[in-house]
Amino acid sequence: MIEIRFHGRGGQGAVTASRLIAIAAYEEGQYSQAIPMYGTERRGAPLTAFVRIDNQRVRERELVHNPDISVVLDPLIAKQQAVVDNLKAGGLVLLNTKDKPEEVKLGGDFKVATVDATTIALETLGRPITNTAILGAFAKITGLVKVESIEKALKKTFPGRLGEMNIAAVKRSYEEVKGPVQATVKDAPEQKVDIHVGGYGVLKDVSSWRVFTPEVDEDKCIGCKNCWIFCPETAIEWNEETNKPSIRYNACKGCGVCANECPVNAIEMVRVEA
Amino acid sequence: MVGNKAAATAVKLAKVQVASAFPITPQTTITQYLSEMYAAGDWDFDFVNVEGELSSQVVVQAASRVGARTFTCTSGPGLLYMHHPMQGTGSGRLPVVMAVVHRGYKGMQTDHSDLMSQQWTGWGHQYVEHAQEVLDSLLMAYKVAEDPRIRIPIAVGYDGYVLSYTAEPVEIPDQALVDEWLPPNKPMPSILPDEVDPSTFSRGWGGGDPQMPWKIHHEAILKIEDVLKETMDSFEKTFGRRYGNGMIETYMMEDADCAIVAMGTIAGTAKAAVEKMQNEGKKVGLIKLRSFIPFPYTDFQEWAKKLDGFAIVDRSICPGKGGPAFGKIRDALYDMEERPKLLQFHAGLGGKEVRTHDFEMIGDKILNYVKGGKEDQITWV
Repeated sequence: MIEIRFHGRGGQGAVTASRLIAIAAYEEGQYSQAIPMYGTERRGAPLTAFVRIDNQRVRERELVHNPDISVVLDPLIAKQQAVVDNLKAGGLVLLNTKDKPEEVKLGGDFKVATVDATTIALETLGRPITNTAILGAFAKITGLVKVESIEKALKKTFPGRLGEMNIAAVKRSYEEVKGPVQATVKDAPEQKVDIHVGGYGVLKDVSSWRVFTPEVDEDKCIGCKNCWIFCPETAIEWNEETNKPSIRYNACKGCGVCANECPVNAIEMVRVEA
Repeated sequence: MVGNKAAATAVKLAKVQVASAFPITPQTTITQYLSEMYAAGDWDFDFVNVEGELSSQVVVQAASRVGARTFTCTSGPGLLYMHHPMQGTGSGRLPVVMAVVHRGYKGMQTDHSDLMSQQWTGWGHQYVEHAQEVLDSLLMAYKVAEDPRIRIPIAVGYDGYVLSYTAEPVEIPDQALVDEWLPPNKPMPSILPDEVDPSTFSRGWGGGDPQMPWKIHHEAILKIEDVLKETMDSFEKTFGRRYGNGMIETYMMEDADCAIVAMGTIAGTAKAAVEKMQNEGKKVGLIKLRSFIPFPYTDFQEWAKKLDGFAIVDRSICPGKGGPAFGKIRDALYDMEERPKLLQFHAGLGGKEVRTHDFEMIGDKILNYVKGGKEDQITWV
């Protein structure tokens, strides 16, 4: 049995990617199972999904804890050591990143392959939905499913032009994937960011969710409290002394509501560098 | 396809005439699939949008009363909201079929406490393991519920998330075969005793004895056992698949000294664990409990004659009372001359993951216990 773990963000299509691989494996006469891990995930939240492929009906229904393969759809999440947590020795990680496999800083005994799926997705689909832009690479480096089977699964799931665009993304990622090579870093660096589980923002550090970070220009701020009222995560505290907002960044998911509501454009959403 | 798609596909194959449901996680996508099927005109049925579960149950109850084949579905708190009209559906002996996509009370993850809390409503209760079994069991539920000997509503429960949203291969039976095996529901003016005026709509019957309706209802539900077993045989004959005898499904029990008893998806994980343990020479098998109401008393009594011990895993608990399956199995075995040993396990509550190695631990404990080893009576896995 082969076990695969997907890491992505809500909206990038990790669950769809897991299902497409399961369908492709089934098309080739294998049995498969695709388990999404649902909490309170939404657009932008780090999430995981799992696939099992076997030559008999899969009975186990626990989550995948020791994957053979880890697939990462998001370039920021791809920098977290957690994506290779509990990967089987000699396993494989496929990352969405501009870096060459040799430049990847993740440490341990596994092979690394990379593909710039975000660029492929932007150029073929016009949106950073990276799931299909990584599946071609997956087919090539794992050999678990043929790229034709993924195309067939795509046509079934997305008939028409949408399917054709995604097939173009699959084909390009099949061509452009680099690796796999043995990981250059041997020892796993320590890190504290939990990328696995969703959950309620009040209780958890969600700083890794952000693609954009709100920054307040206190000179422009007129102290109207609109941002404080509208923040859906109560991540903004009001400093009564200065009459200015103070953002609790570990509770901020970078949704941008505050910037949108600010009547004087005192809040700027700044892209987090990948 | 995912578990919820398998449920919606069963509704389509059964050519349900009236469906009504209110969306609630993790059941929601069933209502989405049914809405899509309705919009596409896949077959002729009414899909009634309602403002809550109390209404969806009332809609299918009324439609069933006038002879329609009906379907509804819900989860956790939605099922609690349905509690009141479920009594009417049960007492009216109306063959409604419902999918219950399990969701617990303490948080939104899965456990069996939702359907377990509805034991007094007078329905048949079944618990299933995988997406294929969801589809097949719903088809069989119509066959059993609509049988003139039964006329009892049936709820088919399956775990939210790990089954409702998990994609896996499902074989879809041929529509012509289903049509032949499951002919349209024959409306019955009244299933109730002759002296009752059908126009009372199942109120006030029992010939003046207020206790009589309960007796008749209880005895009718017990009859599900025979009809379910018979239906499982005919299902296998037509479609080539079966799930034990309908009441229980056994796995690798041929040489077993002890049995793990589990329900729902975790029984699948238990199968993998049992296989691993038997490869290591440990004589533990699995009894998957499918029908909780009526309860398979005779099946457990038969197995008890051959076994040294049962490790009973409940995915729900009645606080202050214990695991429901454990209680019923101990009840079933009390009158036997030689009783096997029992251990009680609480697992998977509040959606807690139950892993293969958890079942290996459970198997090791019961094997040790029947050999005279010391084990705790109750274990929280």
